[in-house]
Amino acid sequence: MSMPSPIVRDLIAAIGPDAVVWQPEDLLVYEYDGTIDRGNPDAIALPATTEDVAALIKIANRYDVPITPRGAGTGLSGGALAAKGGIVIGMNRMRRILEIDVANKTALVQPGVVNLDLGLEAERHGLAYAPDPSSQRACTIGGNVAENAGGPHTLAWGTTTNHVLALELVTADGEVQWIGDATRDQPGYDLVGCVVGSEGTVGIVTQVLVRLVPKPNAVRTLLGIYDSVRQASNTVSAIIASGVVPAALEMIDKMTIAAVEPVLNTGFPLDAEAVLLVEVDGPQSQVEAEGATVEAILRQFEPREVRSATDPEEREQLWAGRKGAIGALGQIMPNYYLLDGVVPRTKLPDVLDSVYEIAERYGLPVANMFHAGDGNLHPCLLFDEREPGATERVLDAGGEIMRLCVDAGGAITGEHGVGLEKRDYLPWIFTEADMDTMKSLRAAFGPTENFNPCKIFPKGHGCGEAGHQSAQHQIARFGPKAFV
Amino acid sequence: MMAWSLDSLSALRSARLTTETDEEIGRYSIEGVIPRAAVRAESAEAVAATLRTAHEHELAVCFFGGRTMTGLGMPPNRHDLAIDLSGLNAVVDYEPNDFTISVGAGKTLAELQRTLAEHGQFVPLDAPQFERATLGGIAAVGRGGLRRTAFGGPRDWLIGMRMARADGQLIKGGGQVVKNVSGYDLPKLFAGSMGTLGAIVEVTLKLRPLPASDRVVAISAPSFEVALAAAGAAAQAAPSLNGCVALSEESAANARALGAELLTDEPTLVLRAVGLESAVAEVLADAVDAARLSGLNQAERTTTAIVETWQAIVDLELETPAEQMRLRLGLRPASLAAAQRLLAERLPQSTRWVAAADSGLLYVDAPLPELEAAVDTIQALRAGMASLGGHLTVESAPTELKRRVDVWGPAGPGERLMRRIKEQFDPAGILSPGRFVGGI
Repeated sequence: MSMPSPIVRDLIAAIGPDAVVWQPEDLLVYEYDGTIDRGNPDAIALPATTEDVAALIKIANRYDVPITPRGAGTGLSGGALAAKGGIVIGMNRMRRILEIDVANKTALVQPGVVNLDLGLEAERHGLAYAPDPSSQRACTIGGNVAENAGGPHTLAWGTTTNHVLALELVTADGEVQWIGDATRDQPGYDLVGCVVGSEGTVGIVTQVLVRLVPKPNAVRTLLGIYDSVRQASNTVSAIIASGVVPAALEMIDKMTIAAVEPVLNTGFPLDAEAVLLVEVDGPQSQVEAEGATVEAILRQFEPREVRSATDPEEREQLWAGRKGAIGALGQIMPNYYLLDGVVPRTKLPDVLDSVYEIAERYGLPVANMFHAGDGNLHPCLLFDEREPGATERVLDAGGEIMRLCVDAGGAITGEHGVGLEKRDYLPWIFTEADMDTMKSLRAAFGPTENFNPCKIFPKGHGCGEAGHQSAQHQIARFGPKAFV
Repeated sequence: MMAWSLDSLSALRSARLTTETDEEIGRYSIEGVIPRAAVRAESAEAVAATLRTAHEHELAVCFFGGRTMTGLGMPPNRHDLAIDLSGLNAVVDYEPNDFTISVGAGKTLAELQRTLAEHGQFVPLDAPQFERATLGGIAAVGRGGLRRTAFGGPRDWLIGMRMARADGQLIKGGGQVVKNVSGYDLPKLFAGSMGTLGAIVEVTLKLRPLPASDRVVAISAPSFEVALAAAGAAAQAAPSLNGCVALSEESAANARALGAELLTDEPTLVLRAVGLESAVAEVLADAVDAARLSGLNQAERTTTAIVETWQAIVDLELETPAEQMRLRLGLRPASLAAAQRLLAERLPQSTRWVAAADSGLLYVDAPLPELEAAVDTIQALRAGMASLGGHLTVESAPTELKRRVDVWGPAGPGERLMRRIKEQFDPAGILSPGRFVGGI
């Protein structure tokens, strides 16, 4: 058994021995998140109160060590990895729903509340929390705020930033303050809009006031099975052109079908090329009419089959293939690399063709699942990390797919964040001046250099090792300012 | 201030210069402060070049679009140079099937909506005097309107933005895709920054399909208070309403004079629903039932002139007579009735009320007492609103009153961060100096 270092002793003195993890074998679990990168924290601190968080930040400042905020560790851009070591502040103990205000349709929660738990609690009051990332059974509201998380239902309702009204924030200097409030009329700059999506680089959020929306009276989920991705894409275009704004508009491709069918018994034919999932919700009569419109369009594009459900359990069954897609990929290969590109929606079919072409060129199986309605694609490159050179190949292919999205007028992340993984790609879409301006916003939040270092922005002092090699390859190939 | 000459500005290409000797300069007056010169920029580059010059000579700059909201905010500490962005009115990029559009900051909302309507689309924003109001101005003011519960505000529809910083550097944030978390969300920071961080030169917006059906109904009420209570009940019963507004007798009459068709000169509840025909009928039926239960017994009226009627109600925001001041209250929806009672007690002569019950937004005009009494009233009301968790903004008032009360009210605990942001973005303090919260 090793001896605690002075900083660990200070952390323990501040929040108690049970709330600090520091033995090397116990730290292992915190080396990972949902990406294929990893980081090596020196200690994990698990605060129970806002005051704890402030005390921890002050200790870290005193020792001049990095701080990495962490929720459930489900993030997909390396945002919760301790890229330069230091202290990981895990928010999981702060997991209470403090208030549901039915009359004003708001909820006050601690950051460690699991997304789905908030959704279920809101439902009990006839309300709903709209953002629903696919990891919603595990991911936390604090993490959602940091990443500006999306999900299938953001097509109609917007992402996390459209649903957060106010935040309690502990800034890099350890000061606690509320920003925003329930009225949306607090005068001044939109600080909440600046903090949501800042990936834990400007402070730690300790309470969140979110907007709830009316729970729809009726919901209908429809599913169409197609013989080509093009056909399914054309169906998507026709639905969008019809003027219906579905609550969700999702697609999975053949490889994904092959992964989910044996595990989830979805009944999808293994030789089908695409499954399209459409959900409409709202007042009963609207759902009836829009459901009929969508069904007619689904049928117009020669589907193998159309399925439909309004009953919650049956709807869940239709969703199973989409929501369980990531988890099922292990059926095919032991590892996957999940990408998060976004392109103007009309570019999606062409970009998909190129994604398949790139994957083939690298000899990698690719499973595609995506938010077809808003041009957000999630190609999943499948590989076995034990195979020499496989990880590098995957990262190179991933970089090329990112480049493809940028060249199509899109961006490098739609909902997963830039994090550690894509920071070297940021210059593909932003100039030095753009990034300097963003950094000046960060500077306004105080001495943030130690706050989740090596994330979002390329390079950075002492971050050389942290970024994976792939991005450097891509930069060498395309040049850092190839787009701008 | 360093010495500067108009020559440094005349050298700018692609810009039209107005100087203090021209009569036209009066257009750029703010609270009676007239700048020495105005530059009407025709390109983003011209805005940037003008700002570089201003930065070099430490000239105080204010930005202008359709000049509909120049009365909002504190009088500027200094105002040397006006930059008029209304010439930046091109459609930069529009692919209807992507449901996004990029336009110059000077594009007016009405013109934009006409372009979009040709493709069955619209941008869900309300703004008073939309034939003049520009997208850049709407973004800079950054407020949601009477339908903000259904629609959100400009922040929720802005997905990308080009700006010119105080030092004249052109930058951008966001992009042209509807879902994007690449880098910090600078468009959110600039939305609502009132020209204090930089010039917004181009915006990219997310769009929506025009609804298949759109209906506005009005029901007369015995009093504004009853109309407000009915609006609250309707909003609770029919949360999918697209708008839920209570008007006092005089506000209804004024809206009617501005072109609202279905209004009479009576206190009125106005409801709007959009969507498929059947859903519109369902939502309105729920709302009207709830309104009836809370005391409205007149027949409901409907109109085909939906856009004109709604716009007339939105336009009330800028119709305050010179001898009155206009107050804007932002509250949690459930506190609206309590806030209205408090206001009515303190402002017994007020007869012009507009409230969006689902959004907790209320406008009231108040006849101006003499200066000291007005200051006292505003301070007392502000304290009352704070106890309800709400905010009071003085929207329009004579300059001498504005100099006595901070029109914005306290910015709350975030003020320290706001000041630091301003220092980062405009260290010399040349952009709209003194016009925003806390003297920013």
